[in-house]
Amino acid sequence: MKKFLRSFLLLDLLEGLWVTFRHQTPSQIETEQYPSDRPAVSERYRGAPRLNVHPETQETLCISCNLCAVACPENLIVVGSVRNPETKRKDLVTFTYDLSRCMFCGLCEDACPVDALELTQDFEIASYTREGLIWDRQALEEGPRPTQYRQ
Amino acid sequence: MTALDNTLDNNEMVLNMGPQHPSTHGVLRIVLKLDGERVKSTDCIIGYLHRGVEKIAENRTYVQFAPYVDRMDYLAAVSNGLGYCLAVEKLMNAVATPRAQAVRVILTELNRIASHLLWLGTHALDLGAITPLFYTLREREAVLKIFENYCGARLTTHAFRIGGLQYELYEGFEKEVEAFCGQFLPKVDEYEELLSGNRIWRERLRGVGIIDAETCKRYGVTGPVLRAAGLAWDLRKSQPYSGYEQYEFDVPTRSSGDTLDRYFVRLDEMRQSVRIIQQAVANIPAGPIMAKIAKVVKPPVGEAYVSIEAPKGELGYYIVSDGTTHPYRLRVRPPSFVNLQALGHMSKGALVADVVAIIGTIDIVLGEVDR
Amino acid sequence: MAEEPKPVKAPAVMATAPWEGPVPDLLREHFGAAVLETSSYLEQPFAVLTLPAMVPALEMLQAEAGFDYLVDITAVDYPKRTPRFELVYILYSHGRNERIRLKAAVGLGEKPLSAVPVFLGANWLEREVYDMFGIEFSGHPDPRRILMPEEWTGFPLRKDYGIVEMDNRWVQANLGIESGQ
Repeated sequence: MKKFLRSFLLLDLLEGLWVTFRHQTPSQIETEQYPSDRPAVSERYRGAPRLNVHPETQETLCISCNLCAVACPENLIVVGSVRNPETKRKDLVTFTYDLSRCMFCGLCEDACPVDALELTQDFEIASYTREGLIWDRQALEEGPRPTQYRQ
Repeated sequence: MTALDNTLDNNEMVLNMGPQHPSTHGVLRIVLKLDGERVKSTDCIIGYLHRGVEKIAENRTYVQFAPYVDRMDYLAAVSNGLGYCLAVEKLMNAVATPRAQAVRVILTELNRIASHLLWLGTHALDLGAITPLFYTLREREAVLKIFENYCGARLTTHAFRIGGLQYELYEGFEKEVEAFCGQFLPKVDEYEELLSGNRIWRERLRGVGIIDAETCKRYGVTGPVLRAAGLAWDLRKSQPYSGYEQYEFDVPTRSSGDTLDRYFVRLDEMRQSVRIIQQAVANIPAGPIMAKIAKVVKPPVGEAYVSIEAPKGELGYYIVSDGTTHPYRLRVRPPSFVNLQALGHMSKGALVADVVAIIGTIDIVLGEVDR
Repeated sequence: MAEEPKPVKAPAVMATAPWEGPVPDLLREHFGAAVLETSSYLEQPFAVLTLPAMVPALEMLQAEAGFDYLVDITAVDYPKRTPRFELVYILYSHGRNERIRLKAAVGLGEKPLSAVPVFLGANWLEREVYDMFGIEFSGHPDPRRILMPEEWTGFPLRKDYGIVEMDNRWVQANLGIESGQ
């Protein structure tokens, strides 16, 4: 009889509905209004790569050791350098990073001995073309410039 | 497809499900042979997501291959990474430090919760209960946030390295994990309120897709499916790895092996995971996070098979080393692939609508089935 | 990496230990000379059998030693060896909580017996071995490719199959592109 009443009065369904109603308070809204409300990504986030420059001299920190290119599983980093006859060191000339194949595993930044290559918190790296995802040295040093939309 | 069995009786019909069908959880194609509304036979056609992971492994170094394993079962990337790291460590005869082991346990158990949460949400969605998805994804978000804070990625985490960990714990990690555990248990009860008590849900799942323990063994089925059939077999208990023997937890089982029981087993597993996490996070040993291993990972000639209890079942790695920096052969024993074989047995005589429930309840990830 | 060069070169073969116990005894008792090796490496026991003895051995172990769960079937390609492939069966016993490996050499074109009558789960695993290595199993109920398309030619996990190699004819006919690369 009790069971019949329970099912007749739809108590089990009302219990479930009660849970739904409990969650109606605005404080429990989790949705982010993305472009106007930007997510705070964590400090360790592995996003767009950046080639760091010295904050004062604006000279690159990269020593062209090629370790990042060796570490990369997808072989998407190409480091071009020439040997400077005066300092006997390699000078960085070109640096290309093919983001279209990157899986943001972070092995390149782990390999970098001087913290020149870094995966940053920038996550807006979409591009209209595949070529736009192949970043050269300039793009890597300046960071991503996503297309701005105007209404 | 030429080789498909195209012979039909008078009253049979063929229904093609997928690969672009939301309830097949990815790109699974099933050719159903029907007698009216009843399923007579199923034929799974897989491979749409085949990326040749095992071939890629032979062409990468051991270290370089680690990010790829995240992309097999992408809902449990941390578990995949743990299995792979343990397998290579076994080959190198190395053991991760106690601190690394504890952190690994915490993260893999969090990942188990995240994986089961997504399973619960989508499974309920398949069967018409839309609400739980929003709640489960909200809780899963908290887990993903912990992953992001810890290693910088949410889904394909690449959290572990061979020999230990790459990242030291961040400030407030323990607090965040404890806070999550504290607020998560009531949430599981809330799912139970929404679903377990719901008569539509119960009647929809009871007696659907029954598989007994004996048949499970013959098919090699593992994980929650096996435990729902009554066999309390969990690799974390029977062959503990990464320090699981220190933690107290139960292996939840049920007896009837139907879809409803698998649902209950997974809910209980989430509770047990919280128990493990709470024990582990309460005393994370101090010390280094990386074991002393050579910088160039180069295991000696040999072979090893190491498996772990992934959220979906036994996930194994069989690696043959020829003494170089590249694996000579790397075989992944994916739980989803083997479990999916039992679909034919479970859905024989079921209704077409039940096939959706059965696929959902096996909890397959096509990235792992196809590799 | 920074170590000084070692005077003794690392052994180029697997440093195995003998595998003793009831299971290898049982194997030798039933199959005698067909058991070529019983050893263990890293505490993981394995036995090397001749190919015809493999499926009977699986059946025997299932019936008499409680190895009721076939974990995996896979193969390894050694192009320089004859016979060329090594077939690996991984077994587990729920009762004993033990995991063993059985291995057998398979030559090109040889057709090992299918294990499906013993373990139903062998079905897809053997199909995958066929798909990837081209080892056909005689008596298999459903000998089709599983991951690759049915009309694909070539066996991707063989060592002579390059990593970017593909069946161009299939790609052009079915995908409408020149090449997948």
